[in-house]
Amino acid sequence: MEAIVALNKVVKDYPLGKLTVQALRGVDLTIAPGEFTVIAGPSGSGKTTLLNMIGCVDVPTTGSVTIAGRETGKLKDRARAKLRLEKLGFIFQTFNLIPVLSAAQNVEFPLLLHGRLGTRERQRRVAELLEAVGLAEQARQRPNELSGGQRQRVAIARALVTEPAIVLADEPTANLDSVTGLAIIDLMKEMNARRNTTFIFSTHDEHVMAHARRMVHIADGKLAEDRALAPPAATAEAPEPGATP
Amino acid sequence: MRAILKIAFHNLLQARLRTTILTLVLAGVTALLVVMGALSQGFTDTLRTNATALSSGHVNVAGWYKSKATDAWPLINDVGEIERIAKENTPGLDYVVRRDRSWAKLISRDHSFFVSPSGIDITAERRLKSILKLAPESAYKDGGQDAPVGSFDRLVEPHTAILFASQAKRLGVGVGDYVTLTSPTGSGRTNSIDVTVVAVARDMGMMSNWNMFVPSADIHELYQTADDTSSAVMIYLDDPTEAEAVMGHLREVFAARGYTVMDHQPQAFFFKFETVAGEDWTGQKLDLTIWSDEVSYIDFMSTALDSVTAILIVILMGIIAIGIMNAMLMSVRRRTAEIGTARAIGMTRSGVLAMFVTEALLLGLFASLLGAALGALLANGIDAAQIQPPPMVSALLMSDTLHLSVDGGQIVRAVVVFTLVTGLAAVSPAIRAARLEPVTAIHHTS
Ligand SMILES: Nc1ncnc2c1ncn2[C@@H]1O[C@H](COP(=O)(O)OP(=O)(O)OP(=O)(O)O)[C@@H](O)[C@H]1O
Ligand SMILES: [Mg+2]
Repeated sequence: MEAIVALNKVVKDYPLGKLTVQALRGVDLTIAPGEFTVIAGPSGSGKTTLLNMIGCVDVPTTGSVTIAGRETGKLKDRARAKLRLEKLGFIFQTFNLIPVLSAAQNVEFPLLLHGRLGTRERQRRVAELLEAVGLAEQARQRPNELSGGQRQRVAIARALVTEPAIVLADEPTANLDSVTGLAIIDLMKEMNARRNTTFIFSTHDEHVMAHARRMVHIADGKLAEDRALAPPAATAEAPEPGATP
Repeated sequence: MRAILKIAFHNLLQARLRTTILTLVLAGVTALLVVMGALSQGFTDTLRTNATALSSGHVNVAGWYKSKATDAWPLINDVGEIERIAKENTPGLDYVVRRDRSWAKLISRDHSFFVSPSGIDITAERRLKSILKLAPESAYKDGGQDAPVGSFDRLVEPHTAILFASQAKRLGVGVGDYVTLTSPTGSGRTNSIDVTVVAVARDMGMMSNWNMFVPSADIHELYQTADDTSSAVMIYLDDPTEAEAVMGHLREVFAARGYTVMDHQPQAFFFKFETVAGEDWTGQKLDLTIWSDEVSYIDFMSTALDSVTAILIVILMGIIAIGIMNAMLMSVRRRTAEIGTARAIGMTRSGVLAMFVTEALLLGLFASLLGAALGALLANGIDAAQIQPPPMVSALLMSDTLHLSVDGGQIVRAVVVFTLVTGLAAVSPAIRAARLEPVTAIHHTS
């Protein structure tokens, strides 16, 4: 199957005063649609930088990042925004909901940016996703009226509402207690199984890593290890190739 | 766009204190603009009402006569014929009157000064009669009664006069007293007539300094002029806004009938004596004007009012714009992570720009609508309260009470301008927000 994410000799330098920090030092990585991948590595190893590259919020210094067949470094800012809107969903460590909007409005937000669906269809999808993440009751609450786990579930619903090909999550459980964190991972896995959405997330947490199907270790800006993991007994079977969401 | 509107709207509600303060200030300034505009409009209205009663029609067919090159007499000879032509060729005509204009010295036992007496037929002067109000006797006579005395209608009698209260006071005369008018005649001698004051009118601003009224026949006697002469045929229209068009039409009509029509000079007739006296021709020329020409010497008042308003508004708007800019800059700083999130989700740079500008536009629209409504209420309230300003002010405003007139177009302009200024003030902070790189913005901690 053709890769949905393809990184080729990706180098990312950050200028730091007179020095340059090499956050990524030539990363080659391909990810197929429907994969559930964990990016692991010590602090400062380059996980966030790597996810930023895949998420098209930043471009490599050298090398290429190709997302759904498009090389991000060659796109104009506007085209990158469109690519993010249409192909990618983001889940952040700090949830990053829009504080003035309710849970439902936050989930609806990417659809409004899309501007393609009618009110009725938008509301149907929002309700469906809030239901799926178990927040139907909290639809009208503002982020500051929700618990951390609830906020992250809103963020997951927001990331999925446009039915993106790829969902990126940078340490989605770091700000949650371990029980809530695992519940969030279960939810992501369920979505992965149901919709064949590609999930890529970074984490430090051993318990969370145990749920991944593929683990990419990164150390000092380079790939250190890349291996497939056996599915843990408790979780759903991997989706059939070509399964529709 | 829906997403942008939603966020902008909710942010305004969220930042309640900031929104309230900015709204109040903006609304206040809008209200001020509307009130000042209403004052200026009220002044223009008063000016038109007064001018078209005291010294001008909506359109005037006046003329100048020169027996020798250095002469200048505000006279037309065949006034009956000119009046007939004017009547026949004026679309939307209400009525016409004849006026004899002159310049004479008004003398009492104690005092004298120059005035511009108008010779009129009081029975034909509908507007003049409706606008003149008898002054209480105490307004011009020490120990006079508080009720008005005399009657405007007595001006049908020969050798009578209507004065204004401030004139009567300066002259030390009242109803029933004699005053003398003296003036040089065409033959180079000075003539004089005695007239009885039959009524004293309430002052109407500075125009009441030099206007007074006598029967037409008195002016003819004073100047030794024939019955078929007069100074002007004053034309009143059903729709005063047609004045300029009607004047243009009548110029052509009179020119086509062989009359010499002077080039249009937007000045009051009494400013033209010198110009005409300096011109090298003899005989008669017609001079057509509209009401605003005859009061153009007072244009400075509207200009002054409008300038004061403009300066005030520009200063206040500047302060508000700076306030809005600062508030927006703070908001951009506070919401940096939110901007990063929105960008990561797929909002474009122009989307971010629009988000902040929309927030300001919404605020501006709401606040200026509120302010305009308040201003209109306030202006109508002040107008209804019939407030009496100090004499200096009422002299300039042509009215003894403050008159304000709210104009719909002016309100719309105020709302549009204020909304735009608010929006513009947000542009530079919004550009700053739009320039943020999504990566750095997401990880920003405030
Ligand atoms: N904007 C930046 N400017 C300068 N250096 C940066 C910037 N972002 C990251 N770096 C550096 O690049 C390296 C990789 O950082 P990155 O955030 O990708 O690590 P990480 O694996 O996500 O770490 P953590 O687990 O702590 O989140 C680090 O040395 C970091 O200091
Ligand atoms: Mg990180």
